Amino acid sequence: MAAPSTEAREVVRAAARWLALLESGKASELDLQRLAQWRASSSLHENAWQKAQLLRQRFAQLPGELAMATLDRPDAGRRALLKQALGVAALVPAAWLLGRQMPLEAWTADVHTAVGERRRLLLSDGTALQLNTDSAVDIDLPARRLTLVRGEVAVTVPAGVSMAVQVPFGQVAVSAGEACVRLIDQACRVSVLSGTATLQPLRGAALALQAGQQASLQAGGAGPVTALDDLLLGWRDGVLRLDDRPLGDLLRELRRYRAGVLRWEPALETLRVTGTFRLDDTDRVLTLLAASLPLEVHARTRYWVTLAARENRA
Amino acid sequence: MIDAATPPQHSLPALYREHRSWLEAWLRRRLGNAWDAADLSQDTFLKVLASAQPLAEIREPRAYLLTVGKRLLSNFHQRRSLEQAYLNALAQLPEQSLPSAEQRWILLETLQALDELLDGLKAPVRKAFLWSQLEGLGYCAIAERLGVSERTVKRYMAQAYEHCLLAQL
Repeated sequence: MAAPSTEAREVVRAAARWLALLESGKASELDLQRLAQWRASSSLHENAWQKAQLLRQRFAQLPGELAMATLDRPDAGRRALLKQALGVAALVPAAWLLGRQMPLEAWTADVHTAVGERRRLLLSDGTALQLNTDSAVDIDLPARRLTLVRGEVAVTVPAGVSMAVQVPFGQVAVSAGEACVRLIDQACRVSVLSGTATLQPLRGAALALQAGQQASLQAGGAGPVTALDDLLLGWRDGVLRLDDRPLGDLLRELRRYRAGVLRWEPALETLRVTGTFRLDDTDRVLTLLAASLPLEVHARTRYWVTLAARENRA
Repeated sequence: MIDAATPPQHSLPALYREHRSWLEAWLRRRLGNAWDAADLSQDTFLKVLASAQPLAEIREPRAYLLTVGKRLLSNFHQRRSLEQAYLNALAQLPEQSLPSAEQRWILLETLQALDELLDGLKAPVRKAFLWSQLEGLGYCAIAERLGVSERTVKRYMAQAYEHCLLAQL
């Protein structure tokens, strides 16, 4: 791109000064006459003046409050993001911002994963951890305790030992087997794949789970016990598996793995889906869905994707 | 191992093969996110491809890639922080005054474009300009808020207009 000529710059500067004078409300009759002369004296001047007016209009057409909050954000860049993650996160409905924020406690945890990332860890005692997307844990091996700060972890404990997973609502003791612990709003869900796990809520009675069972753990109690949900466990193999389930179930899981906003029309919620979808390329999953179901993917940006019902073009 | 006798032939595929995973790892450390790192590293190579600089003349390919990558990273943070502020602001609106999905998208695009225009303005100049354009504040009120004279506000406004108009040239 060629640099603008000195003349072009001068004209722009003059137009900017005229505009600033005009908006001050202090322009005199004489000023206005001079401005008219200036505009009439050259098409370059008039052109620049028109462009300046267009610029004003672009700002004038914006909804003021929204634009102000956006353009006058406290600080451009990373620091501001962190600050907002700390301050505003609680006010923001989850549907808008899924996966976009990582609160400070997640940054300071021993191990954390970003959105879309999964990580395996082997501890020195033979315990294997798998961290799901957007998750964080603190590890205290001497105390045989993990603290799940955010997200989801799968713990595989070797025979003969146990490991406690601390959550805000209580504790889960996993022995000789594999269990998945996932934080959801005001509860956590525990799924036992093998071995056993004991759920101890902050208040109330403990609940023992066997392999093949899952239950929710809240501060005031644990339960009810239900069968494992395969859709919620496939991530350990990097997939989401469904057998004749509503599309909404798949999308709610899928969006945990995507940075940004993923939304869909309510009409799509109940479409039935069967299949196995790989988590390492969620864009591809959306493409696959669009190919096999009556829906369209509207990707405004990679971070703003809406699924809409496809119109019948008969 | 680099054979000193034959200077490396920089073709884009060669550059890409040799340095992509290194660049991606570098970006990933800064972004904490494999996806965006992959995206930005692609963008970096595209920028290199589109740049006027002949590939054969790049002596320090990694230093060069970093220069391009850093600029993209800074743009990325800028856009990301804007998007975040926008989503936060939307989330504060009552349900019934939410713009439609289409309008929200157009608005975001517009705000991003304007944000780029304003980029580089000093904080008080930017504030004065936004107050004037978005809140319709007069120079006198702006002067009071900023604790400067009205003359200064007029100068700020002229500066801001000039800056935006120049960016559009």
